[in-house]
Amino acid sequence: MKRQLAFALVGAMGVVIHASPAIALPTMIRLGYTGCASCHYAPQGGGPLNPYGRAIDEAQSLRAGEYRPRDNKVVRALGWSGRIAQDLRLVFPMQRAWAAAHQPAEASFRPRLLYRNFTELPRGFAVHVTITGETDAVPRPALVYDPSGRSSSAVVDVALLRYRIAPTLELSAGRDQLPSGVTIPDLGVFIKARNRLGYYDAPTQVKMHWAGKRHRLTPFAYAPGGNEATGERESGGGTLAEFDAFGNQRAVVGLSLLRGRSPNGNRQMVGAHARLGFGSWGILAQHDVTDRAREDVQASFRQHTTYGHVFWAAREWLVASAIGERLSVQRPFEERLNAGKIEVAARLTSVATIGAGVRMQRDVLTRRVSSSVMFQVALKTAY
Amino acid sequence: MGVPKSSLRLWWPTFCCTSNHTCEVQLAMKQKTGGLAFLGLAATVLAAGVPTSQTPDPVDASPVRVSGGSVSFEVATNVFATTVRGKSSALTGGTRLRDSASGLRLEQLEAVVPVASLRTGITLRDEHMRKYIFQTADGQLPDVRFSADKAECSLADTSGVYACVTSGALAIRGTRQPFAMALKVTRDADGFHVSGDGKVALSMYGIERPSQFGVRTDDEVKIHLELSARTTATTTARVR
Repeated sequence: MKRQLAFALVGAMGVVIHASPAIALPTMIRLGYTGCASCHYAPQGGGPLNPYGRAIDEAQSLRAGEYRPRDNKVVRALGWSGRIAQDLRLVFPMQRAWAAAHQPAEASFRPRLLYRNFTELPRGFAVHVTITGETDAVPRPALVYDPSGRSSSAVVDVALLRYRIAPTLELSAGRDQLPSGVTIPDLGVFIKARNRLGYYDAPTQVKMHWAGKRHRLTPFAYAPGGNEATGERESGGGTLAEFDAFGNQRAVVGLSLLRGRSPNGNRQMVGAHARLGFGSWGILAQHDVTDRAREDVQASFRQHTTYGHVFWAAREWLVASAIGERLSVQRPFEERLNAGKIEVAARLTSVATIGAGVRMQRDVLTRRVSSSVMFQVALKTAY
Repeated sequence: MGVPKSSLRLWWPTFCCTSNHTCEVQLAMKQKTGGLAFLGLAATVLAAGVPTSQTPDPVDASPVRVSGGSVSFEVATNVFATTVRGKSSALTGGTRLRDSASGLRLEQLEAVVPVASLRTGITLRDEHMRKYIFQTADGQLPDVRFSADKAECSLADTSGVYACVTSGALAIRGTRQPFAMALKVTRDADGFHVSGDGKVALSMYGIERPSQFGVRTDDEVKIHLELSARTTATTTARVR
């Protein structure tokens, strides 16, 4: 039992330490952007912005200027006459975390450099790649029943080949994070970190994106990505379904299903999520229930993760958020964590974004309170 | 309503007012300046595009003034799931309402939206909208103005909702074009609640569809308005 508790504490610490600010783009629901495809080449989000997305990015910054694409020989050569969209993104997250009151703070500074590329090929094909270089690994919590995948100083987060059948229907195959509910970029939150959606979770997969006037459907099948711990090479399938509840593109509700099997056990996840926008503010919410059956420890147990996020765009470039989280894991790995976070993200220009946040987490079983403060600067190239 | 004809003539300018306070000041001035004010009033009515010859017998018609209104628009684009929406809560306007057993008759309808009050949520996009949609060649930003002579509304069902279609003119960039709007009128404790829907084709006004980096809006813009209106009999009494 002590061992399990120790693992739970390590896990809790892990979440506190690697939480990063949700410089949240699902907040664009407040302006009627129900998904990522309006601004990103990849319908799942992430990766380079398309020209319209770059214009929105610039318009939604403090500078609020016009996006004027650079057009010179170098840009044309790098961009293969408009077929390649690519950027470099440099992220400097700085954090101080306290595991408990009156304990010394642990400081961390883990810069990451991302290269993101989207290359259009003839006949509806495209390649989407994201490679991350980092000095320190940022694994998700190391749990007995769900160890983190192996990290390395250079990680291929995304390597997908896409085939567009129609403007609203495309197939992708390769390596990527699995489709999930509210697409927040903070991979340290319980709904991500406790459901194999951390930095190094990029299974090999085939998925389809099909969008209708009021719905979006993403069925997928996946196999191990290659960096999983021994016995954790998981294969499975699932689907993500979203529906524009009132047809006004301000209230998207969704359901996610996943079933995976590895030599050490299997897991089934059912989740519901919502993205609601009300002009200058909105709500993101998700609740997932995961049933795990572990053969290595001969145990079956259930996990609940809950995420609630209220955001307010005080200015177009300045978004404040209040986030509440809950984690509950049944015996024999019993855990009960509650967490709250306040953060502010400011997009100064399309090149520079800063964010700051405070997070507190309480372990209901031990009554231990841990906290952290975070500051992040993100820079990216834009042309 | 039993209001003397001379008083009711003074009512029309209130429909163009932007606040109750402004309306009362205007009325008081006209009351004092007599014939000169009447000339000014006539000019206002003509400028508003309402033919005085069609003004119905005002004996049974109650002036109704918008006490709170908003208008929203929605236009789809060529990019899937990307729709541009905007809203203004600065809608003003009014009508004259004739209530009878057969239904409601709305006369001299007018609704005005200052262009500067329209917001899409992105400031730069608002600037583009004003520049490419609403700005005249000489740099002016005239209000968007809807006017119609009349609308006959009948009870649609037992729910107490009156429905009608009003045909009038919508002025954008100062250019008037025929425009029809389906209205639903519901009585409430303070007066009436009106909602309406219509569609505008930008091409009718010679407006090119806005485009931004491959995202181009459709030609057809859906318009929806919501407003609360009150009869203005109490104010009439005070002015008199």
